[in-house]
Amino acid sequence: MATIFYAEPELVIGHNRKILFVNPNDLQIFKEIELPTDLLSSCGLKSSSTSTAEQQSAAAETGGGSVVEGEEPKDTKTIEAGASASAPTVSVQNVSYSPDRQLLAVTTAGQKALVLYKCRPEHAQLVSVRALARASSAIRFAADSSSVLVTDKTGDCYQYDCIETEALPRLLLGHLSIVYDILWTGDQQHIITSDRDDKIRVTNYPATFDIHSYCLGHKEFVSGLALLSDEHICSVSGDKTLRVWNFKAGKELLRTDLPAPAVRLHHRQLPQKSDGDNADNLQRHQLGILFYDHVDAVGLYELEGNGDVWSVTVSQQIRADAGSWNICNFALTEERVYVMGAKDERLTFRCYNSSNGEPITSQLPEGWLTMILDQFPGDAGSCLPEDLSVWFKKRFDNVSDYLERKKRRIEEQQQQHKC
Amino acid sequence: MVTTSQEQGHDALTATSAVTGLPQKRFYRQRAHSNPIADHSFDYPARPEDVDWSALYPNIQPDQQVEFADIGCGYGGFLVTLGEMFPQKLSIGMEIRVKVSDYVVDRIAALRLKSGKLNGDAYKNIACIRTNAMKYLPNYFRKGQLEKMFFLYPDPHFKRAKHKWRIINQALLSEYAYVLRQGGLVYTMTDVEDLHQWIVSHMNQHPLYERISPEDESQDPITPKLYQSSEEGAKVVRNKGDHFLAIFRRI
Repeated sequence: MATIFYAEPELVIGHNRKILFVNPNDLQIFKEIELPTDLLSSCGLKSSSTSTAEQQSAAAETGGGSVVEGEEPKDTKTIEAGASASAPTVSVQNVSYSPDRQLLAVTTAGQKALVLYKCRPEHAQLVSVRALARASSAIRFAADSSSVLVTDKTGDCYQYDCIETEALPRLLLGHLSIVYDILWTGDQQHIITSDRDDKIRVTNYPATFDIHSYCLGHKEFVSGLALLSDEHICSVSGDKTLRVWNFKAGKELLRTDLPAPAVRLHHRQLPQKSDGDNADNLQRHQLGILFYDHVDAVGLYELEGNGDVWSVTVSQQIRADAGSWNICNFALTEERVYVMGAKDERLTFRCYNSSNGEPITSQLPEGWLTMILDQFPGDAGSCLPEDLSVWFKKRFDNVSDYLERKKRRIEEQQQQHKC
Repeated sequence: MVTTSQEQGHDALTATSAVTGLPQKRFYRQRAHSNPIADHSFDYPARPEDVDWSALYPNIQPDQQVEFADIGCGYGGFLVTLGEMFPQKLSIGMEIRVKVSDYVVDRIAALRLKSGKLNGDAYKNIACIRTNAMKYLPNYFRKGQLEKMFFLYPDPHFKRAKHKWRIINQALLSEYAYVLRQGGLVYTMTDVEDLHQWIVSHMNQHPLYERISPEDESQDPITPKLYQSSEEGAKVVRNKGDHFLAIFRRI
């Protein structure tokens, strides 16, 4: 999976082993990070302590809670570390800046790890590499940048300290299916997670054993969440709806139909409207939604809200040549949508105008797209799209067969009674 | 033409014993294990508000709600006892296995029919649904709705790799605490000592539960029934095996 997001003034692109920080407005590359090929075994930083971290995280996973059961630390999942000759490849899974922009958290697949970098103007400095028991599905920093949450496909959510990088990860909460997105409120009182079983769960923090509420109503996987205010979130789902919730009350405030299942959500806060005498605190947000298998690849929506009253307007659908290539992610800037995907199994970028959905070619700096792609030569640019059809619930019917046989049995019995 | 519920009752009766009028278990046998993580074809409500409880409890009052839940109710022996002991309370049995939950549904229908013939109203306070309680409790119950939850003779899932399939684990305990009201009780019973210790240790670690004293355990009127009325329990009694009971209060 390739990742892309915009954090003013940079566009951050992560693919395979490389993370690129580029200026979308000229040919400047701010910085780049290339992950070591043998991330876990000999990253030079803590080759000895990674294996213990891995054992510890495996132990924490079986033990649950902050209590680590010492017994049987090596289970089934810790084998791949160490053998660098046959070590699996490293590829970037999730990337996130800390809110204070001092740290960059990267999770990797293949060799599964959480990697922290200290961000400096030009170079990034590797701070720590911690093995993950499973590949991550989403990450989220604390508002105070002191720790980062990592969720995985089994639904567990671990907290990793970013100051005491040697500290054990703490298992905070668990879902029964993959967690697709995670939020952590600005006051750090609530962690909000969404899963493949249609659920949005609001968990108290630091008392994460105490579930504050659920936001229920979606009928398919909940793929994306965005924090709108101290009390409000929006969610998008495979059930083709966008919903706004008061998450503290677990109450649905707004539901809007989408043209297709939603698989990714990006969010940008817009400046409040200054209507002169209208001093209402009208909050405005831009949402970008990537659709599953739809002629318009990306939908742009505008949300306006005041208290518990929210409304949504479609601002633009972006066709993005959907169908001719495999779109996997996108980034929103003020005026543009950068779409990323695979064509003929090669990494590809395209850029569109947010206000009219048209492809942008002339306004981009000359050679910009080529320059980006040149950063991913050879194998680095190979891109196999993720099969998102597995996100949908598989309905296998184990009931009607039984009921049919039961009906026949009853009918036979009734026949015999008559005879 | 008879009403639908009577029709169902009649259907149920034809698969039943001519002597007792109850469904015969041999038609509903199923292996004991079920994978609780996998997708199944469950129809489940998106939210508790969407549940049509009157389809399950014909006499339900507007101010009434389910307060007792038997999680993994098996063939429903204890659920029936609960219904008899607490006529004013609504109890639900939740069972993941297709045939077993269907047996309980037929059994309750037959019991209601029998009681109805004597102008009785019994067993209209119990019902069974086939669902995955590990996944869908918050879809059925609001926060703090339940007064008692029962985990009787749960699948021990002996293999370590399958421990996350156990009905008692750290993550799920938070979910049970969510649907339980403060002061509510969790009853656990097993004939597997290792599992008992696992349950007690996980419950003790969780900040929202405390184990009640052995005196309180023995004085609870439900306690003797836990030993008698579950079929699994009866089997253990016949085999002269040990039982391990533990009751916890939601703090």
